[in-house]
Amino acid sequence: MKIGVSKTNIFLIILVLLIQFFIYGCKESDRNTIAMGLSASPINLDPRYVTDAISYRISRLIYMSLVDFNESFHVIPELATWEKLSPTHYRFILGEKFREFHNGSLLTSKDVKATYQSVLDSEISSPHRASIAMIESIETVDQNIIDFKLFYPDPFFPGRLVIGILPMELINKKHNFARDPIGSGPMKILHWANDENLKLQRLSDGKIIEMITLKDPVVRVLKLLKGDIDLIQGNLPPEVIDWLSRKQLVNVEKKIGNTFTYLGFNLEDPITKNLLVRKAIAHAIDRESIIKYVMKSSARKAGSLLPPEHWAGHSALTGIEYNPEKSKMLLKQAGYGDPSSLKLVYKISNDPFRLRLATIIQQQLKSVGIKVEIRSYDWGTFYGDIKNGRFQMYSLSWVGLKMPDIFYYIFHSKSIPPYGANRGRFNDSEIDVILELAKTETSLSKQALLYKDLQENLIKSLPYIPLWYEDNVLISKFAIEGYKLRADGNFDSLMSIKNN
Amino acid sequence: MYFNYLIKRLLSAVFVLFSILTFVFFLIHIIPGDPVEVMLGESARIADRDALRASLGLDQPINQQWLTYMNDFFHYDLGKSIYSNEHVTHLLSKHIFATFLLSLASLVVALLIAVPIGIYSAVYKGSILDKSTIFLATLGISIPNFVMGPLLILIFSLWLGWLPVSGNDGLSSLVLPALTLGSALAAILSRMIRSSMLETMQQDYIRSARARGLSEFKVLVFHALRNAALPVVTILGMQFGTLLAGAVITETIFSWPGIGQLMIESIQKRDYPIVQGCVIIISFTYVLVNLITDFICILLDPRIDAN
Repeated sequence: MKIGVSKTNIFLIILVLLIQFFIYGCKESDRNTIAMGLSASPINLDPRYVTDAISYRISRLIYMSLVDFNESFHVIPELATWEKLSPTHYRFILGEKFREFHNGSLLTSKDVKATYQSVLDSEISSPHRASIAMIESIETVDQNIIDFKLFYPDPFFPGRLVIGILPMELINKKHNFARDPIGSGPMKILHWANDENLKLQRLSDGKIIEMITLKDPVVRVLKLLKGDIDLIQGNLPPEVIDWLSRKQLVNVEKKIGNTFTYLGFNLEDPITKNLLVRKAIAHAIDRESIIKYVMKSSARKAGSLLPPEHWAGHSALTGIEYNPEKSKMLLKQAGYGDPSSLKLVYKISNDPFRLRLATIIQQQLKSVGIKVEIRSYDWGTFYGDIKNGRFQMYSLSWVGLKMPDIFYYIFHSKSIPPYGANRGRFNDSEIDVILELAKTETSLSKQALLYKDLQENLIKSLPYIPLWYEDNVLISKFAIEGYKLRADGNFDSLMSIKNN
Repeated sequence: MYFNYLIKRLLSAVFVLFSILTFVFFLIHIIPGDPVEVMLGESARIADRDALRASLGLDQPINQQWLTYMNDFFHYDLGKSIYSNEHVTHLLSKHIFATFLLSLASLVVALLIAVPIGIYSAVYKGSILDKSTIFLATLGISIPNFVMGPLLILIFSLWLGWLPVSGNDGLSSLVLPALTLGSALAAILSRMIRSSMLETMQQDYIRSARARGLSEFKVLVFHALRNAALPVVTILGMQFGTLLAGAVITETIFSWPGIGQLMIESIQKRDYPIVQGCVIIISFTYVLVNLITDFICILLDPRIDAN
């Protein structure tokens, strides 16, 4: 028998291919599935190791923690309520909701104990270990009650118990939660064969939530316009968001967020340690124009690390006003009166949008006589340089800040890396005193006053120049309902989202 | 003779692979950036950092780390990802097939476009079609993949609705990335085939073939094209090697889970074992493709001495 590629065979092959394409073209969207486009894949879904934003937001849907935060960043019960028996003794009482793990076992105080003990175990190298290092012992009273005893008082302690609870039995078996998460949250994992596609199932109604990683923002939008995905949250260039909202092809929603972007300085550098120079830079940046024309009004001016709606925030602070004449005057006072006599190196990551913003800031500083050289690096190099103080000026953002003791971590003189995130080597004894007082103060209202005082002092000494808080943006098909944007950008609304 | 040649080439390939592996190992460890810092963030205590560094073997002197790596390598162990704890071999196997498929498809697309156009332009030199292919080739080379990709998505996915926007679900999702990569390659290849064909067609043996009364088709395909193929095969081999190393931009646009994307992400995070694994695959592929190209050249032109 002669075997060969006849004309009929070729015709058949072409026909099959065309049918396949046709079938794809006509594929109807699955009504039981809601697809969300992500800018990056989750790295690790074990709550003991989660550090990146996407993994954190997804793990919140799979696992439940003892406490959570409300919209004004107060700690609220999630799995448990608590009592403070003494400054170093907290009792948590498990409620009735979310008490069943996805493998059918009951969530008890033993699971809570096992989870926190494994985080404290130095062998598993959890990045969250330091945040709960004040725990001296964990004791289960009964199936529903668990006591935490601390080495020293920590008024923020309940707010630190935000790690998702894992089943003790599986912890002991060294189960790979990173790729096969089992929690007691409202969603369980259905399928995660490759990094680009993760399927979750909502336990309340069986609805499937598909997370599709699409790194290119334009392709993410094209996929939404074609109907392959139903919604995108954030991480889109402002001009694309603006174009979409003008065209009215899809639903575009914005909500104020708490992602804080700032300019940081090395306060050990002979030039940037000069307060007059930092003030001159602050007055030379026209944040209003950047927000309006470049960010297409998807941000609001920031005056401090915490947004004004935070219980410890300062609503009267909006940052330093744009005043180029004052900036020039301050430069003159600092001894840089000659045009371009002041030269600075400005380090940033290689994110294209951050680079674009940096070039605008470079141009604005040039107009007051500051010559800026931009150096853009990949994340590993950039982060290494910032931590080790190899910079004069840099910009970065703080994402998802919840508790005000972050100020201690960023501005206390004892928090210089590797002990904290005082990357600029800021050292101010007055600020240190306020930070120490706030850290030990137990009354929330008194703490709020102390933090307000602190934020006023920080804007005067200017270790950071606060730039803006970036908005959260939702782009969704018109058929999508019930997705409420959250300030910290979490995906919790996927628990209630509907497609009509 | 061929066997000796093969042995020589394989030995030199082993040396090349070893050198690349060593060079990249030291390079990635020397550049700034620490996976422990990226993993644990700034809040971790020094003791925890040290513990993690020790558990990953990063506390050892760099030459000791290199020895350990080489020892594991010769025991077929490429290690685990620092972040996801997945075996590097498993991760690579997931990505290498996708890359190979895309590279092969791009090459097929490029050849399907370039061969007929190249021959036609050579035969009808100076015709309108010849001139228009120069224009198209310039356009093909000039349009970067990050423009061509979304443009093709707009036309074939959004307006015509024939093909998926991105992803890796079957044959239909391969078409657009292959077309994006293949069209740029076809532009170079078609001009290459044209000039090579023009040169070959001036040769005496072509005149003799025609004098012997062979049909023009046979003259072109069996006599001219075979001889003109030599430089084209060399270019094709090199391009195939480049494609196998990962077409990062095209992979990103089409969410194609290839080796290029994996390597770039791993470099960003300083996930050393994955970077090393990718380097092994890429350098091995390059060496292999070059070897195959050389053999094809010997087969095409028996005058080339394998020695």
